[in-house]
Amino acid sequence: MTDDSTAPAVQLKGCTRRFDTPSGGEYVAVRDVDLTIAPGRFVSIVGPTGCGKSTLLNMAAGLLEPSSGEVFGFGEPLRGLNRRASYMFQQDALLPWKTVRDNVALGLKMRGVASAEANERALHWLRRVGLEGFANRYPYQLSGGMRKRTTVAQTWIVDPDVLLMDEPFSALDIQTRQLMENELLQLWQGSNKAVLFVTHDLDEAIALSDEVVLLGVGPGSRVVGRYEVDLDRPRDLMDIRSRPEFVRIYEEIWSQLKEEVMKTYAKDSPALAK
Amino acid sequence: METSPAPAAGRPADTSGTVVEPGDGLPGTRRRRRGRRGAVIRVLQVVLAVAVLGGWELLTSLRVIDPFFFPRPSDIAVRIWEWISTGYILDDLAVTLEEALLAFVIGSVLGLVVGFLLARVSLLAGVLDPYLKMFNALPRVVLAPIFLLWFGLGIWSKVAFGVTLVFFIVFFNTFQGVRDVDRVLVDNVRMLGASEYHLVRHVLLPSALTWIFSSLHISAGFAITGAVVGEYLGAAKGVGYVIAQSEGVFDTTGVFAGMIILMLVVLVIDLLVNRLEALLLRWQDPAKTA
Ligand SMILES: Nc1ncnc2c1ncn2[C@@H]1O[C@H](COP(=O)(O)OP(=O)(O)O)[C@@H](O)[C@H]1O
Ligand SMILES: [Mg+2]
Repeated sequence: MTDDSTAPAVQLKGCTRRFDTPSGGEYVAVRDVDLTIAPGRFVSIVGPTGCGKSTLLNMAAGLLEPSSGEVFGFGEPLRGLNRRASYMFQQDALLPWKTVRDNVALGLKMRGVASAEANERALHWLRRVGLEGFANRYPYQLSGGMRKRTTVAQTWIVDPDVLLMDEPFSALDIQTRQLMENELLQLWQGSNKAVLFVTHDLDEAIALSDEVVLLGVGPGSRVVGRYEVDLDRPRDLMDIRSRPEFVRIYEEIWSQLKEEVMKTYAKDSPALAK
Repeated sequence: METSPAPAAGRPADTSGTVVEPGDGLPGTRRRRRGRRGAVIRVLQVVLAVAVLGGWELLTSLRVIDPFFFPRPSDIAVRIWEWISTGYILDDLAVTLEEALLAFVIGSVLGLVVGFLLARVSLLAGVLDPYLKMFNALPRVVLAPIFLLWFGLGIWSKVAFGVTLVFFIVFFNTFQGVRDVDRVLVDNVRMLGASEYHLVRHVLLPSALTWIFSSLHISAGFAITGAVVGEYLGAAKGVGYVIAQSEGVFDTTGVFAGMIILMLVVLVIDLLVNRLEALLLRWQDPAKTA
């Protein structure tokens, strides 16, 4: 694949997406969104529930076409699926009828890697995410955290240049979540992979990212703020949240996010916002 | 179904790492109580069978019930033993099973293929929908005579009849299973690089399989029904033919013996299907499907 090293890994230019509503009308989920993720950068999208974060991710993945605007991957306009991206879905997406090992090896096998080698590499990845000994389990036999680890191995094993992650840890308890965030950063550090990470948790976004993109309330959500997070790397997530720089950035973004959240409330129940 | 996988080796995976051990759901006391209840039920089941068969035997001996219409259970048992020990019924049973197996395999393969096609090609589904509905609305038994004319007295008229019964069950379940597949699973494997073939093999087929299995007991029973009814209406061999012959000479003992043999055969097949199901669907959470 030709690689324009200066081109962004993912770029959305003026992307708008409309959906047909059951009543026959149209709902504009996101409007005129510009988004640029350079190779090796970790960018988070934060916004209230229902503002169109998953919609943006789906467009970057090529699963959803923008109604207007265009998506680029490494400088090339996207046609069909984004072949250089892996996608970690918000919902459970492991195949329930495959063992943990077969789930992880699937991407390689579908790319034509010989079965024995794919299995070998899957076991290697299971060791990396701390799941050795669970290779022959079925997903229903795992805890929520272990399923997420399996998904991490499943999406990383194909060595994508871009990782799209949709609130991957939001369903986990707080300790598991912090552990997983730490491990994600360790995997990503020095990998030169671009990450587009969606979350509704500002704390998580700042702790992980180089850049936080704030999305406004819908309908027709736009980007309402972009913030550089210039905390040192590698980061230790266990104590980063108490550092003064973290607190300063957090408060800066939160003051604006708060406004957006209040607007959501105002829309849903006008009495509350007063 | 194997119930408890080997205990987890290596380091514990995470702080929330409570691993669900399948088959470990019931605390000891409840399991024991359930075990005792099971034993009571077993005993009562045997008591019921003895009472019904004993009462029947007694009442026919006393001529309260006419043994011409309701032959004595002991006579039926003797007849079944004769048929089996002399090998009299075995040829016919083999023919019936052969017809049923062929009907089952052909009907299932057709149902699978057509179900897949229609679920994936919506134009085809749209065009064929009313015709499939019409054909399915037809009481299938009326086809038996015409199949006899088309395919003759041999096994193929029975196979064809069985196929029309099995096909629709498998077809509807496959169609539903493929349509019903979780959108996220499809998106996930597509992002991992799946071709259309991969999609069918890794997602659509396994997803449809759960639906198909829920219908397997019914379609296996239908395959036998097809064979027996076909034989009954016109054949030179088969259990249905034996029953028809017995009926022709007012041998009710023979009719009952044939019925019971069929019943036992279907029970055995059901047991085998259960085994197969437990093997192929071992990935399902038993707590959710129980
Ligand atoms: N396929 C769809 N059809 C109709 N409306 C949709 C569809 N997908 C998303 N939407 C709507 O678009 C808005 C944004 O959805 P989504 O991107 O899932 O939000 P988020 O991920 O930020 O919670 C929501 O109001 C949702 O109802
Ligand atoms: Mg979402």
